[in-house]
Amino acid sequence: MSQKPPSRVELLQGTLDLLILRTLRAGPTHGHAIAKHIQRTSEDLLQVETGSLYPALHRLEAQGWIAASWELSDKGKRARYYRLTPAGRKQLETEQLKWHAFSRAMGLVLNPADQEAQ
Amino acid sequence: MNSFFRKLTWLRQRRRKEDDLRDELQFHLDEESDQLRAQGLADDEARQSARRDLGNITLVKEDTRATWSWTSLEQLVQDLRYAARTMRNNKAFTALAALSLALGIGANTTIFSFLDALLLRSLPVADPASLVVLRWHSKLGAWRTDDFVMEGMHGEVYDDASGSVSDLFPYPAFQFFQKAGAGVFSDVFTYCHTRDVRTLNLTIKGQADIASGELVSGDYFHGLRVVPASGRLIFADDDRFGAAPVAVVSHVLADKHLGGANNAPGQSILIDNLPFTVVGVAPPEFFGADAAQVPDVYLPMHTNVLLGAADSYGSTAGDYLEQNDYWIQVMARLRPGVTLAQAQAAMAGSFQQWIATTAKNDKQRANLPTLAVEEGATGLDTLRRHFSKPLFVLMTLVGSILAIACSNVANLFLARAASRRCEIALRLSLGAGRLRVIRQLLTESVLLAVLGGMFGVFFAILGMRFLSVLLESGSRQITIHADLNWHVLAVATALSLLTGMLFGLAPAMQSTRLDLVAALKEARASGTRGQHSFWRISISQTLLVGQIALALLMLVAAGLFVRTLSNLESVELGFNRENVLLFQVDAQKAGRREPNIAPFYSDLRKRLASIPGVRHVSLAETSLLGAGSSHPITVPGSPPHDATRILSIGPDFLTTMQIPLLAGRDIEDRDHPGSPAIAIINQRFARDNFGDQNPLGRHLILWKGKDPARDMEIVGVAKNARYGGLKEQIPPVVYFPYDQGYPPRNEMVFALRTAGDPLSYVRSVLETVGQADPRMPLTDVQTQTEEINEDMSQETTLASLCTAFALLALTIACVGLYGTMSYTVARRTGEIGIRMALGAQRRAVVWMVLREVAILALVGLAISIPAALITAKFIESFLFGTKPSDPLSMAIAVTILLSAALLAGYVPARRAARIDPMNALRHE
Repeated sequence: MSQKPPSRVELLQGTLDLLILRTLRAGPTHGHAIAKHIQRTSEDLLQVETGSLYPALHRLEAQGWIAASWELSDKGKRARYYRLTPAGRKQLETEQLKWHAFSRAMGLVLNPADQEAQ
Repeated sequence: MNSFFRKLTWLRQRRRKEDDLRDELQFHLDEESDQLRAQGLADDEARQSARRDLGNITLVKEDTRATWSWTSLEQLVQDLRYAARTMRNNKAFTALAALSLALGIGANTTIFSFLDALLLRSLPVADPASLVVLRWHSKLGAWRTDDFVMEGMHGEVYDDASGSVSDLFPYPAFQFFQKAGAGVFSDVFTYCHTRDVRTLNLTIKGQADIASGELVSGDYFHGLRVVPASGRLIFADDDRFGAAPVAVVSHVLADKHLGGANNAPGQSILIDNLPFTVVGVAPPEFFGADAAQVPDVYLPMHTNVLLGAADSYGSTAGDYLEQNDYWIQVMARLRPGVTLAQAQAAMAGSFQQWIATTAKNDKQRANLPTLAVEEGATGLDTLRRHFSKPLFVLMTLVGSILAIACSNVANLFLARAASRRCEIALRLSLGAGRLRVIRQLLTESVLLAVLGGMFGVFFAILGMRFLSVLLESGSRQITIHADLNWHVLAVATALSLLTGMLFGLAPAMQSTRLDLVAALKEARASGTRGQHSFWRISISQTLLVGQIALALLMLVAAGLFVRTLSNLESVELGFNRENVLLFQVDAQKAGRREPNIAPFYSDLRKRLASIPGVRHVSLAETSLLGAGSSHPITVPGSPPHDATRILSIGPDFLTTMQIPLLAGRDIEDRDHPGSPAIAIINQRFARDNFGDQNPLGRHLILWKGKDPARDMEIVGVAKNARYGGLKEQIPPVVYFPYDQGYPPRNEMVFALRTAGDPLSYVRSVLETVGQADPRMPLTDVQTQTEEINEDMSQETTLASLCTAFALLALTIACVGLYGTMSYTVARRTGEIGIRMALGAQRRAVVWMVLREVAILALVGLAISIPAALITAKFIESFLFGTKPSDPLSMAIAVTILLSAALLAGYVPARRAARIDPMNALRHE
């Protein structure tokens, strides 16, 4: 059975935070780069809406999971760089564990045959 | 807490954050268009595409901003802003509501500040909670009979419903308490204000002045744990016969006369012409153990024998042994860990045994008082007994005012909530939560209340000044230190917030309970009859009825107080109050001794009589209103008359005071020491003792103990004149010359009948007395009218305050009535238009509105008239010449209230009658 993969995937509620935190684990970067990174690594399946990216960044900052500072970008422009705080690193681990459990559970329910076959 | 502060910081840095966000988004756009350009798009296209990609920038900013601030704080700020805007748009409403609240809160804060100063504030000493006061209780009035262990007293006994109570004890009782109480009390100490020290003649560096003194036992200051401002306080060793006479002075006195606290110790002063050494200064906040007395000088108790030596009524060493003479007041400090109940249990029994040993016969033994150990943190309660009841009456009154103001504002809010139905329905239908809307409405009411509270504190400051002046002018010896402290401010704040909640909650709850569709559809003038509006009408009507009822109660109380005052003012004095100057002098305290005192007064009287404009001069032991001493006097052959009062007077007394003589003559210059002893009796004494017989020429015996001291011939009968106060019945009185033997007199009150304003003679009087004896200070210089007004000061205060409060209450209630009726008329414009179109007369329309007012008022009256009859009983003790159920006061109150209510209703009624039917119907 062949099915055309969807060109875009809607982001699930609450997953954007996890994606941002995971992206920042690689090192400090600015908002635009975060969006592009998520888009690129998800093979363009995930498109981050700018309308939700910046509120999310500021929310995470308010929660103390990420910190921001003005630095110069590669092209020498002033950009707001975000980096993971220790609290954010811990949060990322918990969220990641939760997500793995969740996706395994979803997989088990949706594809019982795959499991049996293995 | 941490995140709270972080958010606060963010609020402050808001502007910078805004700039940051703008820059950040701009950077994003630049970056995006750079990339697009790199992919080969044209410059314009790249920029547009990037913009498209970012979406609605304002929305992004809005959403981001929402994550910054603490939402509820921001909502609060929003609510406050919205509330402030609403208040600005309804200036009249806001002013009216805030003003009535401010008056209510201000009045309450004022009265509370006095209650606080009087009842709640502790003595300014260490650990006041462990102080106790010792008192005795007995059967009501038992102390007035001969069958009671207390045979003599210097102080006060109070009668109340539970019996008689006093804090006076004989000195041996103090020694008993020290010994028997050692287990429960760490300190027992005593003090008193006997006549020896009540007024002291102080001479400092040659200057004479009057001071009030307090006699204290040696462990008084130690027991109270008072620390001196300078020098030392009185020690146990100072308080014994033969000790060097020392004095501790108040901080005020040290500043005024001794060059400050630091210079005072070591100075010599003359007290009643006896040398004392000032050893120390009391701390500035200390006012003694009784807030009613603010002593200038504290003296060791045993010095009273020195001070009293020259006075025939003065204290003697024998007083310290006398078991049946009650003159000292006792306080104690509980040992750590001992409770009041334990101390009471430990002391009661042994006191009973001790007091039984002082009884002289079986009758006294059957009537023994019992001991009570009572809380002493607030010190003695003379002041409280004088003022607490009137203050509670006032507190009730101002509480009612606040209730009226609150319900009034609640009503205004209800009416306004009704006109905001559309607004609120719109907000609810747009998704606002009910709680959110209630919170916003409550913010409005609390903001209003806080505004009212702020003005209220301002009114309270004015009120406190006014009331202090009013109380002080009443009794000059009593000072209440009311001030704006944190207790009072806390109460004012709590009152504001509470009232805001109270009057805001009901309207807010009710206005958010809406049928949205109906409310949104509803046209302004169409009837709002329905379940909800029924509820609202009944709430607002209930509030109005309550206001009317309370206003009537206050009007009745004001009426009763005003009647009392006018009764007192029109009371028949029996003498002429106009143009009389009174002042007191004391030759003994100025250093004179018998037999030089009487000639000095006689000489002084002649000097005063020569002042131009002075028509008559006389003197008496006290003024007529201040009088109150009794002595056994009998008609030969009949038993002494208990009720007889005496007044020793100088020549021309009746002439000077213009007390009419019914028969015989006044005392004249020819009645002097050595001439035949004479007396003048008043009408009442003549009637009681001689009936229809002519008393002239009859004799009276004045007794000293068991011996006849004076045999006096009655030479005159005077018309009854007030004696000892305006409220008291005029007793049988015997007037006799002050200088014809026992009992001798020391201080005397001179009375000058002047031509014109008596106060314009004060200067010449001071000069004349100064010429006679420069050491002689004058006290209590006042006109007779002033003395009478002082006697009525409590009645004057109550009448004026209560009238002011009642008018305030009436005004607020009428404003409420007016507001509600105006709103009703506005709401019923359509209906009234239809009635008029159908032929209703204007008069009928006016009546229709007034009828509603009248019904409300009548319901209010029906509730409050019985309530007034019941509550008026509580103020019975303040009344004079009128009963609590005085029909005239009631009728006047009802008339005033009804006319005010109808007046308040008439304006909206007129407006209703002016409705043009065509306009009203077109409006529909």
